[in-house]
Amino acid sequence: MAFDSKERDELRRKFTEFAESRDRTLRDELVTAHMGLAEYLARRFTNRGEPLDDLAQVAALGLLKAVDRFDPDRGLEFSTYATPTIVGELKRHFRDKGWAVRVPRRVQELHLRLGSVVSILSQEKGRSPTIGEIAQAAAVSEEEVLEAIEAGHAYRFTSLDAPAGGDEDGSLSSQLGSEDQGLIDSEHRVTLSPLIAQFPPRERVILHLRFFEGLTQSEIAGRLGISQMHVSRLLARSLSQLRSQATDAGDE
Amino acid sequence: MATGEVRLEVPASPEFLRITRIMVAGVASRLGFTLDEVEDLRIAIDELCFALVGKGRTGIIAIRYLMLDDGLAVEGDGHFTDDGANEPTLSPMSHQILGAMVDEVELGRGPDGPTFRMVKRLRPA
Repeated sequence: MAFDSKERDELRRKFTEFAESRDRTLRDELVTAHMGLAEYLARRFTNRGEPLDDLAQVAALGLLKAVDRFDPDRGLEFSTYATPTIVGELKRHFRDKGWAVRVPRRVQELHLRLGSVVSILSQEKGRSPTIGEIAQAAAVSEEEVLEAIEAGHAYRFTSLDAPAGGDEDGSLSSQLGSEDQGLIDSEHRVTLSPLIAQFPPRERVILHLRFFEGLTQSEIAGRLGISQMHVSRLLARSLSQLRSQATDAGDE
Repeated sequence: MATGEVRLEVPASPEFLRITRIMVAGVASRLGFTLDEVEDLRIAIDELCFALVGKGRTGIIAIRYLMLDDGLAVEGDGHFTDDGANEPTLSPMSHQILGAMVDEVELGRGPDGPTFRMVKRLRPA
């Protein structure tokens, strides 16, 4: 994260302005400018059985919190201030939100490995594979496959302050064809529930394709260019967020 | 195809929903459902059991996994001793989700708690 002095002055000016105006565009700019820091820190937490993709999202959330809370008048560099916030968010992810049920390492590893096994099999067969086929290809028992799939659902996501609009706009456009961009728009028009609108774009598209368009997880995976296991994880997480939101609303 | 029935009773509390998901995946994979379909069943049972227990009730949910010739039916009955609602509640979003996941869904009212039944059929390969 090296900025030259001109960039640093510019950022400092933006932070001061943001501290007063709380302008969302400015906030986005500040977050984007420091995304490299979030990614760098997320990378340090790989090899713990969590996909980098998910970690990058958690780190981006930490970055967003840091941008919101940073007080430029206190004379600290933003990166000095943000690093512990982002690292804290990542640690919290592992502690509270990562594998809510303690998932043994071998199961986590199998879960990650199955991602590519499922992709290859789906391609070979032109359909979603059965559990038996996956077990055979991965040379493990069916029970182990079931355990590993369930591990992907072991998230307990209760946080509702995930970035609205998300940090994924950049990567999203590269993953989606124009057809899907249209879908996002139509989804906006016919939103069943404003709840969905709060999710980052990719989650929104997945929810829409699965529950409104009836595409299977494999089909969605193919269309977005991510693995079926990843679609499964994102869906599970979105659903648990929707649910905690529903129950929180019920309490009020 | 072996028909028959698997039964499971779990405390009526959200942390036990995981076990109901593992069970549905196990039974469904025996029946030859694909991974996509197993995922659907897992999501569906989670929605339905959650509709029964919400943040937790006092009592149990009794679940029957019925292996049919052409698919899987899952029936769940809440047996609750607290004075919460006996009417299962599903949000419009949950209805939408379930409609996309399984072929049939019914919610009902049992003597001491809400009930559900869902069916997912095997697609000819």
